[in-house]
Amino acid sequence: MTGRIVLPDTEPERPPEPPPHGPIVWAHENLFSTVASGILTVVVGTLVVLFLVGVLGFIFGADRRWDAVFFNTRLMMTQAYPEDQYFRVWLSLGIIVSLTGLSLAVWQVGGRVSLNRITRLLSSIGAGLIGLEVLGPFSIRARVIGILIGLVLIGGSYLVKRAAGERAKQETIPLMAIVGIVPALGVVALYVLRIPTRLAEDNYAEQVLAPIANSTRIPITVLFVVGVVAYSVGVLMLDRMPNATARVALVGLWVLSLPAIVLTILRDPELDYDKILAIPGFQEGYLWWAVIFAVGGSLLITYLGSPARGEGGRAIGGLLVVVALASWGVSMLVLIRLFLLFLATFALAAPTFGGGEGRARARIVGLWVMTVAAAAYFVVLVSGPSTVQVQTTFFIGGLFLSFILAIFGIVLSFPLGVLFALGRTSSMPIFRLMCVAYIEVVRGVPFITWLLTAIIVFPIFLPLGVQVSNVVAVLVMTVLFSAAYLAENVRGGLQSVSGGQIEAAKALGMTTAQTTVFIILPQALRAVIPALVGQVIGTFKDTSLVIIVGLFDFLAIARNVIPNQRVPFNNLDALTEPLMYAALVYWIFTFSFSRASQRLEKKLGVGER
Amino acid sequence: MAVEVQQRHQRPPLWRDVTVLKWAAQLVVLAVVAAILWILGTTGAGNIDDRGLTFGWRWLTDPPGISIREGIDLLPDSGSRAMLVGIVNMLRVTVSGIIVATILGTIIGIARLSKNWIVNKTANVYIETIRNTPLLVQIFFWAALLRLFDEPLEADIGVKWLHISSKGLAIPWIRPDIGFWQWLVFVVVGLYFARVMYRRRIRHLEESGEEAYAFTYAAGTVLLFALVGWFAHPLMAFLGPVWGGIASFFGALPTWVVQAVLAVGALGIAGWWIKRFLDGLRTPAGLAKLTDDDIFRIVFASLAGVIFAALFIVQGGISNLVLDGMRNLFEFFDGKFGAAEGGLRTGLPLRWSRPFVEVTGANFFQYGSGGIVITGGFFAIWVGVTLYTASFIAEVVRAGILAVVRGQTEAASALGLRRSQSLRLVILPQAFRIILPPLGNQYLNLAKNTSLGIAVSYPEIVLVGQTLYNQTGQTLPVVLFWMVFYLSVSLILSSIVNYYNRKLQLVER
Amino acid sequence: MADLGQDDIIICEGVKKWFGDFQALTGVTTRIKEQEVVVVIGPSGSGKSTFIRCINRLEAHQEGTIVVDGIELTNDLRNIEKIRAEVGMVFQQFNLFPHLTVLDNVTLAPLWVRKTPKGESDAQAMQLLERVGIPEQAEKYPGQLSGGQQQRVAIARALAMNPKIMLFDEPTSALDPEMIKEVLDVMKELAQSGMTMIVVTHEMGFAREVADRVLFFDYGTIVEEGTPEHFFTSPEHDRTKLFLSQIL
Ligand SMILES: Nc1ncnc2c1ncn2[C@@H]1O[C@H](COP(=O)(O)OP(=O)(O)O)[C@@H](O)[C@H]1O
Ligand SMILES: [Mg+2]
Repeated sequence: MTGRIVLPDTEPERPPEPPPHGPIVWAHENLFSTVASGILTVVVGTLVVLFLVGVLGFIFGADRRWDAVFFNTRLMMTQAYPEDQYFRVWLSLGIIVSLTGLSLAVWQVGGRVSLNRITRLLSSIGAGLIGLEVLGPFSIRARVIGILIGLVLIGGSYLVKRAAGERAKQETIPLMAIVGIVPALGVVALYVLRIPTRLAEDNYAEQVLAPIANSTRIPITVLFVVGVVAYSVGVLMLDRMPNATARVALVGLWVLSLPAIVLTILRDPELDYDKILAIPGFQEGYLWWAVIFAVGGSLLITYLGSPARGEGGRAIGGLLVVVALASWGVSMLVLIRLFLLFLATFALAAPTFGGGEGRARARIVGLWVMTVAAAAYFVVLVSGPSTVQVQTTFFIGGLFLSFILAIFGIVLSFPLGVLFALGRTSSMPIFRLMCVAYIEVVRGVPFITWLLTAIIVFPIFLPLGVQVSNVVAVLVMTVLFSAAYLAENVRGGLQSVSGGQIEAAKALGMTTAQTTVFIILPQALRAVIPALVGQVIGTFKDTSLVIIVGLFDFLAIARNVIPNQRVPFNNLDALTEPLMYAALVYWIFTFSFSRASQRLEKKLGVGER
Repeated sequence: MAVEVQQRHQRPPLWRDVTVLKWAAQLVVLAVVAAILWILGTTGAGNIDDRGLTFGWRWLTDPPGISIREGIDLLPDSGSRAMLVGIVNMLRVTVSGIIVATILGTIIGIARLSKNWIVNKTANVYIETIRNTPLLVQIFFWAALLRLFDEPLEADIGVKWLHISSKGLAIPWIRPDIGFWQWLVFVVVGLYFARVMYRRRIRHLEESGEEAYAFTYAAGTVLLFALVGWFAHPLMAFLGPVWGGIASFFGALPTWVVQAVLAVGALGIAGWWIKRFLDGLRTPAGLAKLTDDDIFRIVFASLAGVIFAALFIVQGGISNLVLDGMRNLFEFFDGKFGAAEGGLRTGLPLRWSRPFVEVTGANFFQYGSGGIVITGGFFAIWVGVTLYTASFIAEVVRAGILAVVRGQTEAASALGLRRSQSLRLVILPQAFRIILPPLGNQYLNLAKNTSLGIAVSYPEIVLVGQTLYNQTGQTLPVVLFWMVFYLSVSLILSSIVNYYNRKLQLVER
Repeated sequence: MADLGQDDIIICEGVKKWFGDFQALTGVTTRIKEQEVVVVIGPSGSGKSTFIRCINRLEAHQEGTIVVDGIELTNDLRNIEKIRAEVGMVFQQFNLFPHLTVLDNVTLAPLWVRKTPKGESDAQAMQLLERVGIPEQAEKYPGQLSGGQQQRVAIARALAMNPKIMLFDEPTSALDPEMIKEVLDVMKELAQSGMTMIVVTHEMGFAREVADRVLFFDYGTIVEEGTPEHFFTSPEHDRTKLFLSQIL
C-alpha cells in the first residue's frame, strides 16, 4: 500500500494568493492527488461504507434490545441504591455540578471561538446526520426527516456564515456558552422527545411512546440550573476576589467534598454520640481528642517552627515518629493513631516549612487544625455503620462505584507514586533499591492478578477480627498498583530537571526537602502532565476489571446483571446492547478527558516557559 | 583575636553528621518496612494455623481433579501439568497477538500519516475509539457477539469450509502429518542457511551499493530447503535411533550428576555475568570506581547464583524433573523419526484439514477434531488484545516516523530517492530504533492483558490457577506461581528488547 | 596549626579533591580577606569551578581544611546549612527557577531559609532588582528575559540572602557580547560596595580593574598568585605566561 507520509519538511512557502478552495479542489488535493491515492480512496471508501452499513444495521436493527439499557439506567448508575434515599445521590451530584461550574468559571476554561468554527461544526453534524440516515436501516419517514434536518443545519450554517462575512473569523463567542447548549438541549429533550417503551410488565405488550427519564427529569433540570448558576457566580467571583485565593479555596472544596460525598452523604452513617462526646479515654471521646490534638499540636508546631530551635526540633519530630509507629501496637482509637502520625509529619516539616513569624506560621498552624478537623470528621463518620439498606455488601454500585474507585485510586496513589519516584531517583541506595523492587514487581504482574491476590491475601494477613470489604481491598490494590506506574511516569519528569536547578537551590541554603518541594517537583510534574493524564485515563479504564472479583461496578451491571434479568422484563437476550452502551459511556469520559488535557498542554506550553 | 584551626578534621557530632544521618534514615525506614512485613507475616502464619490451612507444593504433583476447556491437555494429571496448559494457552494468544498487532499497528500508524483524507481519518477514528474504551469491555463485546450466533444444529452436521456458531469459529487449517518432524529438520537447516545468505547479500549491498534483495534471497533459501525436504525428508530417518540413544542416556544418568551440573551452571552463569559486567566497566586507566549500584548488582548476581545452586543441590526433585523432561522430550522425538507402522516413514509432512460438525451423545452437536476451532474465549481475548494493542502500536509507529522525518527526508530527497523508497530505506529503519523500546512495552502489556482471558473463561494461567486453588485451597502458592511466571515473562521480554536495542545502538555508532 | 588572621574570611589549607580516580584539586592553599575581590583564572579543566564549589560545599573536599567565616566545612549538617546561607553563588548557566516569576525567584530563599516575612522579603527583592537595574521585570518568568537580564536576576537572588561572600563561576561565559557589560557593571558596583568576592572569569579587563588579587590555577592547584599589575606585566611562571599569551 502506498501510505503517503505527510512530510513536514515541505513546509509550504506561503503562496502570495490564497489558494483556490472549494469541494472539488479539496477532493483533488486530499483524495485524488495521485492515481494510487485515488485507488486507495475508492477501496478504503467502499470498505468504510460497507462497514458503516453493517454496524448501523446492527445498532439500529429491529432485534436490538435497547430498552434493556434504558430501563436500567438507574441500576447502571447506582446499582440498587434505595429509592427513598435517592435525594442523597442528587445532592452529591448537585455538589459536584456546582463545584464544576465554579471551577470552569474561575479557571476560565474554554476561551473564545469564532463563528466560523461553530458553523463548520454544525455543518459536519448535519453531514453526519445525513450519512447516518442514508446508511442506517431506517424507515423512509425517519430518513426524510433526518435528511431534512441535516440539510437545514448545513444550509443554515452556510447562510449565517455568509451573513456574518469577515466577522465570522473573529474569535468572539465564549466557548462555554456553546458547550452549555448541549446539556440545555438535553434537558429540553427530556420534556419534548418520546421514545418507544414497554410500559407493562408483560414483555410482549405493544410498545408505546413515553418521555425519556420520566421520573428523573425534574432533578436533572434542577442540576442543570444549579450548574448554570454556579458558573455565573464563579464569573462574578472573578471580579470581586483575587484569583489565586479563589483557586486555592476551590481546590480545598474539591478535596473535602469528594470524601464527604462518598463517606457521609451517600453512606448515611449511623453515629454513636455517646462515644463521640464522652470524656476522652483510649476507646472513646473523639471530639475531645480532636480538640486536645488541635490545641496541643498547634503549640508544638509553633515551638518547633521557630528558627532558633535547630536540630532539637528534628529530634522531637523523630521521637514523635517512633511514638506514632508504636501506637499501632497498642489498642487505642484509630483516630489517635492517625493524629500521632500526622503530628509527627507536621513536627518534622515544621522547621523547614513552618515560618518563624506571622503569615507563614499562621499558615502551618491553620493547616494543622484543618487536618485534625478533617481527620476527625471522616474517621468518626467512617466508623459509623452505613444505614443505607441494600442487598449487596457495599452501599453503592454502578457508574458511581467505578468513579469512586477511579477518583480515590488516582488521588491516593498520587502522593505514594511521587514518593516512590523520589526514592527511585534518590542518592540513597537502600531507598532506591526498595523502590526499584516495588515498582518493578508491581509493574511486571497484570492488574487482575493483583486484584485476585488482594481478595485472597488480605483476609489471611490482616489480624483476626479486622474485616475488609472487597471494595476496600480492591481500592487499596488499585492505589498500590497505580502508584507504581505513576512513579515511573514521575521519574521521567524528575530526571528532566537539570542538576543546575538543584545546585542553585542548595547554594541558596535550601534543605533537600525544600528543594524537592519548591524546585524539583513543580518542574518535574509539569514536564510529565501528558503522561499523568494518560495514567488517569488508564486507571479509570482499569476500574472495569473489578467485575472479575465480583464487585458491582458499571461494567458488571452491564454485562452480568442486565442480561440475567427476568423480571420485570425478560432481558436474557440483551447481551451486546448494555456492553455497547457501557463502551460509549467509558469512551465519552476518556475521550473528552484526553482532549481536555491536550488543550491544557497547549495552554501550559506557551507563556510560562 | 587569632583563632586556632586544627589541621585534622573535627568530627561533627553523630546526630549532625550528614553521612550518618543519611544511613540512619535509610536503616530506620528499612527497619520499619521489615517490621511491618514481619508483623503481617506472623499474623498471616497465625491466621493460617487458626484456620487449619497448610500451604505447600504438593498440588504441583498431585492430581488436580479439574478439567480444562481447551489446550494441550484437557484432563491434566498433575497441578503443574494444568499450569503448563494455562501457560501454553497464554503464550498462544500472546505470540499470535503480537504478530498480528504489530502488522496491523504499523499499517494504521502509517495510514495515520497519510495525505489521503479518508485513509487518515479512518485510521484516526480506529485509534481514538479502541484506545479510549476499556479493553475488558471490548473483550466482553467480542464474546457477546459470538454468542448471538446459533448453537450448531443437526442440519450443520458434515465437513465445512467455514462455520460460525455460538461455540466458536471453525476454519480449515494446516496440520502436521506423519513426516512433519523429519521435514522440520530441513526447514531448520534452511533457516540457518537463509541467515548466512542474508548476511552475504547485505555485505554485497554495502560493498557494491547495488540493490541486493537480501530478504528475497533469504526467503528463497528457506523455500528451497522446504521444497527439497518435502520429498527428501525420509533421509532424516536416521535421526530416530540418535534421539533414542540420547533418551536412554538421560534415562541412565544418575540424579547427582544433573544436580552438580545445574549447580555449577548456576554459579558459572553468575560468574560469567559478573565478569562481563566488570569488563564493561574496565577503562584503559584500569577499573573505574564502582558505584553502590554496581556493587548491588554484583552482590545480587552472586547471591542469585548461590541461591539457585543451593536450591538445585537441596531439592533433588528439580533435577529429577529436568532429567525426566529431557528423556521424555527425546523419546518423543524418537517416535517421530524413522520407521513408522512397520515401513519407512514416507508420509507427507503437512496435511490440509477441514472442520466438521459432529454429534456426540444423544443430541449434542459440536465441532470435531478437524481444521481449527477458535473457541469463543480465544476469539474474544485474541481479537480484544490484538485490536487494542494495535491501536497503541499505531501511535508508537506514528511518533517514531514523525521523529525521524523532521530533517531526515531532506537528506533522502537530496539523494534522489522516491518517496516510497525513502520511507522503506531511510525512514522506517531509523524510526525502528526509536520505536523499539515503546514497542517492547506494548508487547509486555499485551502479554499481561491476556490475563483478562479469565473474564471470558479462556483457560490461561490465571484462570487455571484460580480453578486449581478453588479445588485445592492452595491460594498462596498459586499466587506465588503467578507472580514468578509473569515476572519471568516481563524479564525475558524486556531482555530481548534490550538486547536488540543495544544492537541497534551499536550499529548506529 | 594555622592562624585565622583578623580579617581572613576564607582559609584553605592543602585542599585536595578526587573524582573517582581523577584528582581535580591537588592541594590548594590560600587565604582570602574580608572585602577582598579575588579573580581566579586558568585553563579549562584546571579545577577552578571545583575549587569555588568546595567553598560552599556543593562539592565535598576529601583532604585539607576549608574554614569559612570561622566555620570549618565538615559533614556537619548545621555548618553546611549556615555556610550555604552566608555564601552566595552565581552560575554560568544562571540556573534561575523557570517555573517561578523573577520576584519569586528572588524571595524564595529569604522566605523559607531565613524565614523573612513575606512583605519584608518582597520589599527587599524589589530593592535588589532595582540595584541590578530590572525592577520592571519582576512579574515576568525567566524564560521571557534576555541572558544578561537573567544573570542579573541570579545575582539579585544570591544577594537576597545577605551573603557575606559571593562566588561567581564564569558569570559572563554564556552571554552574548553586548550583554556582558551590563552584568560586569553590576559586579563592579558590588565589589565597590565592599562585598567579598571570588570570581572565576576570563574577562581580563574586569580582573585588571576590580581585582585585589589574581589566582592562576592549573592542574588543580594555584600556580601563581599576585596583584593584577604583577600578573599582566611581569608573570613569573611559564605556564602563566603561556596562558596569558593565548588569552590576551
Ligand atoms: N562531577 C564530576 N565528576 C567527575 N569529574 C569531574 C566532575 N566535576 C569536574 N570534574 C573534572 O574535574 C576537572 C576540573 O573541573 P572544573 O573544576 O570544572 O574545571 P574548570 O572549571 O577549571 O574548567 C575536570 O577535568 C573535570 O572533568
Ligand atoms: Mg568551570
